[in-house]
Amino acid sequence: MIRSVARPQSQAWHRTHTQRFRRTWLIMGGILAAALLLAASGYFSGVSWVALGDAILRTTYRLMLAYAIALVVGVAIALVVGWSPFADAFFPFFDILQNLPSFALIPLFIYFFGFTDMMIILFAVSSIVWPILFSVLTAIKSAHTDLNDAASIFGAHGVRRILYYLAPLSYPAMLTGSIVGIAIGWESVIGAEIISDVAGFGAFIKGADVTGISQAAVAGMLAILIIVFIVNRVVWAPLLAGSSKRYAE
Amino acid sequence: MPNNPPDAKLVLSRVSARFTDDKRDVYALKDISFSVPAGAFVSITGPSGAGKSTLMRIILGFMEHESGTVVRNFERPAMVFQNYALFPWLSAIDNVAFGLKMAGVPKEGRERAAREKLKEVGLEHVADHYPSALSGGQRQRVGLARALAISPDLLIMDEPFSNLDTITAEALKADLLKIWRAYGITILMVNHLIPDAIELSDQVIVMGAHPGRIEKMLTVDLPRPRDTRSTPFFTRVDQLTEIIRSVS
Repeated sequence: MIRSVARPQSQAWHRTHTQRFRRTWLIMGGILAAALLLAASGYFSGVSWVALGDAILRTTYRLMLAYAIALVVGVAIALVVGWSPFADAFFPFFDILQNLPSFALIPLFIYFFGFTDMMIILFAVSSIVWPILFSVLTAIKSAHTDLNDAASIFGAHGVRRILYYLAPLSYPAMLTGSIVGIAIGWESVIGAEIISDVAGFGAFIKGADVTGISQAAVAGMLAILIIVFIVNRVVWAPLLAGSSKRYAE
Repeated sequence: MPNNPPDAKLVLSRVSARFTDDKRDVYALKDISFSVPAGAFVSITGPSGAGKSTLMRIILGFMEHESGTVVRNFERPAMVFQNYALFPWLSAIDNVAFGLKMAGVPKEGRERAAREKLKEVGLEHVADHYPSALSGGQRQRVGLARALAISPDLLIMDEPFSNLDTITAEALKADLLKIWRAYGITILMVNHLIPDAIELSDQVIVMGAHPGRIEKMLTVDLPRPRDTRSTPFFTRVDQLTEIIRSVS
């Protein structure tokens, strides 16, 4: 007797997804195990956890605020420019601005805002905004002609076109732009803290290295990796999964 | 020159359009003239490169033409696309209601109307599904319901059956004829399938390519509903096939 067993259509997807999920947790497990091993061996005995926690909180707070501002500014500019007939003309202009070496602009930010939270946040905004802006703008420019025509035929004009067509159209691009932007953001915020010596994780590891306590820097790096991992699992992974499912062809 | 009946929904007179390709000026369309009477079902067929999609975009005002005149006696055009062009972030019912939302129809009214249109195309049960969860045939039906929801006075269809399997295409064609008869909408359809063009249309416009031009217009005066297995039907199909062969 031949028996056939129905195989669910999503089995291949499920297997790949499960494998990826396992691999991610394996990497994180490795990081945690290394951290615990180092802690057990007494490697972190000289680390001031309160100072480290305070530094990481300051840096994370700056990054989150900078990301929120960059998201609003980047998406708004990309939507308005993408909606206008002048999008192609703006591309080279944005490209030049994006390619300015951002750290060379730090003296300018310090001149205008001093050694403050505001200076670091706005400096980070100037780095985070570009991947978001370019991702959204590219998504709008590369939208299928039929989809653009459908939006026009069914009355999406003016502000309604931005709100009900261009904004949802560019949502997946906004997500990927955000992920790249935040990665650049960590670098910008920490770099600006190192250069300006404003209290935060950058200033903390700078001080740690100068005084020869490299254990503090290692502990800080591990803590940031854990934060990045948690944000990825809790925020980006579900949003990306939802977006790729909904926006699939 | 086209026949210009007073009740024509659309009249094109010597319409030409050009585009630049590799720094060369190429005629996409040359001296296109025809009219579409109100309530008629007109098909346009022809080889690739005949500029059929360009012509649709000019009719809808999405593209400038170089010379000639386009008289648009319609106010609410709608379109059904070959690749469906549904908004992937909206459910089937929200896709259907999109045009009504843009027109400022209140939520309750547009949802009721959208549900009615979905019911009409036999898809009430997938109202809350997103396009990615629908089959090709279901997507095309949602596209048709979206077009009907705005009560169009001209429905343009760009190869609506070409991405569908035969059974689905046949079912959709039957529904389309039913809807056309019920609403009396003027339909202009780009279609590559010769038997479909004869079965559906009052008139078939055959275009040639490079540049896109009208080669022949064939009036199909067979009584409706058309018997697709009758001798007169096959005679018309042969006639159109010969015309298309001669221009390809």
